Amino acid sequence: MYRIRFFIALWGAKFSKILLKITKNNGTNFPGTIAIKVCPDFLKYINKPKKIVCITGTNGKTTVANLAIEMFARDDKKVLNNSMGSNTITGISTSLINGVNIFGRCKYERGILEIDERSAKRVFPQITADYLLITNLSRDSIMRNGHPEYIAKILTEYIPRSTKLIINADDLIASNVSPENERVYYGIDKMDTDKTECTNLINDLQICPKCYSKLSYDYLRYHHIGKTVCKNCGFSSPKSDYLGENVNLVDMTIDIKEVGCKGRHRLLNDSVYNIYNVVSTIALFRELGYSHDKIEKLLDKTSILSSRYNVEVVDDKKLFMQLTKDKNAFACSRVFDYISNLPGEKELIIMMSSLGDAKHWSENTCWLYDCDFELLNKDNIKNIVVVGPRYKDYYLRILFAGIDGAKVVKTMDELDAPDCLKLFENDNIYILYGTDSIVLANGVKEKIKTRIKGGK
Amino acid sequence: MYIEVMFPEVCNLYGDLANIRLIKKSYPETEIIETSLKDIPYFLENVPDLIYMGSVTEDNQVLVIETLKKYKKRIETLIEQGVCFLITGNATEVFGGEISDIDGTKLEGLGIIGISTKRDMFNRFNSLYLGKFNNMDIVGYKSQFTYSYYNNDQITSQLFDTIKGIGLNPDVKEEGVRLNNFFATYLIGPLLILNPYFTKYLLKQLGINNPKLLHEKDMIEAYEIRVKEYSNPKIGFYY
Repeated sequence: MYRIRFFIALWGAKFSKILLKITKNNGTNFPGTIAIKVCPDFLKYINKPKKIVCITGTNGKTTVANLAIEMFARDDKKVLNNSMGSNTITGISTSLINGVNIFGRCKYERGILEIDERSAKRVFPQITADYLLITNLSRDSIMRNGHPEYIAKILTEYIPRSTKLIINADDLIASNVSPENERVYYGIDKMDTDKTECTNLINDLQICPKCYSKLSYDYLRYHHIGKTVCKNCGFSSPKSDYLGENVNLVDMTIDIKEVGCKGRHRLLNDSVYNIYNVVSTIALFRELGYSHDKIEKLLDKTSILSSRYNVEVVDDKKLFMQLTKDKNAFACSRVFDYISNLPGEKELIIMMSSLGDAKHWSENTCWLYDCDFELLNKDNIKNIVVVGPRYKDYYLRILFAGIDGAKVVKTMDELDAPDCLKLFENDNIYILYGTDSIVLANGVKEKIKTRIKGGK
Repeated sequence: MYIEVMFPEVCNLYGDLANIRLIKKSYPETEIIETSLKDIPYFLENVPDLIYMGSVTEDNQVLVIETLKKYKKRIETLIEQGVCFLITGNATEVFGGEISDIDGTKLEGLGIIGISTKRDMFNRFNSLYLGKFNNMDIVGYKSQFTYSYYNNDQITSQLFDTIKGIGLNPDVKEEGVRLNNFFATYLIGPLLILNPYFTKYLLKQLGINNPKLLHEKDMIEAYEIRVKEYSNPKIGFYY
């Protein structure tokens, strides 16, 4: 009986794809939504690639998944993936529907699936990944994700026992997920920029998970990310099987040390969170049996997805587009940290107000007070433009960060932001946009370019 | 002014600690005493002006209750004496009775205030909030896995009267708990920044005449916009 239901769901979903094409609708989740409606266990029954790698975590999972997909493409390997759809059950179902023919036979040997960590409870009972890479677990949307302990528990409950984990050793919340599962760890050795005390507003692991004493850090990178040790009971971070060391931001290289061998690799970006993304991807490919030489060939010429980060030079100015996930205090703090430490005088456009929330209700702004706006209190940040529906709240938060109000311009309409820039000589202009405002951010960027070229 | 912040290493979710940062920035001479789980509380032998505790994860809530059980009598005495407490988010439950999870686990709170709690980790409730306190509008956010219920056999006063959103649970319009100067609410995050008039009321309770807040003008501007926005019947209130 289930087979009949499954095929009705599959054919219905395939037919919906044709309709979407004819009507020129995007609807990347629609076929999956139909399939699950008709056959709730659709994911369980659909034919899948022989080897499945899943990638989850609070931050970095899209970047890592895209890197891996691009590297497989360079290796002439066809990989089923959900990069064009969502990372929830409907998006994943749609990708798997795309991967089978009308008889339900899968056309792919391998699959790379990015999984929303909260969706684990719906996805993992039906998909058993061979490998699951966990980038990190941190605070995210208060409404959806609550807190990282909650997410870690969901993952631990639903990750299949046979899945091998590839986990960030420097994240003690992530590294404690599913303790019974086989696992390898990756991490980055002490860096010059590390501290021993947390200076961020968020630190979700301040007490030892075993004895509840205050934790100490051999080195702390940011928030709870670092190498920790409990002076009371000796509990400590796990040892990395793939340890990034000798990070060289001049040559943009990193060495990956493991038992018996070492490889040197190119870094794609100098932000620490993107260094983690590279190290985790290398760990994944090593687990899949690739040599360091081969990985380096595949990594060569890959880049961070341009919708997340890109730079354009316009006359004497640089225009940076930086995805800065709205409602995610951890991710925004990382971006603020990165930008504030870059050389040169800067202007920022902060346009992370959640436009989706503004349409349907009103954004929960609690996260602003978890986010380190204090990092923007730097002399070389000359002008901050806050825009969007919640600009008054952002403005107030920036004042509380100790930033001089005279350095801040506020306006409701995002497209007014370019006119609020000073556009000084050798200006570095950063547009920080949320996931809801990618299109709008491109519009802002174009308007800035026009203003620069017009000399206004 | 002495403010004791209870267990900031774990009771720190959702930007709650910004409430204390606001008071400290507005009154820099304020002494903030941060008491960790393994410390002996300052309030045991002293009388702080304000005791604050913020939102906490479910696992850490167990540790907090275990720790505070030793000091239950002293907490009751301080409440009777009129010492100010500000408790936000699910830290409220710590002072109530039983916390029962739909998975069958039960946890006994301190039993100081007349509420009991039901928890469902599969369903997170999110909403905006508009309420009243002493004729002041109160705005804020709720985001929680639990609902609490007033016990029938204990007289418990609410803190806020709900205009829009839910009270302590979806069936009542009364929100939070007030017992003398013990103020507890499920509203999370920067409650005092979002509600400058309530903050001034609280500061008066702490003995400050004519309180002034840092960035007060901008805070009131943002507050008035929010009150107007939340009063709009067209605005969605639930996430």
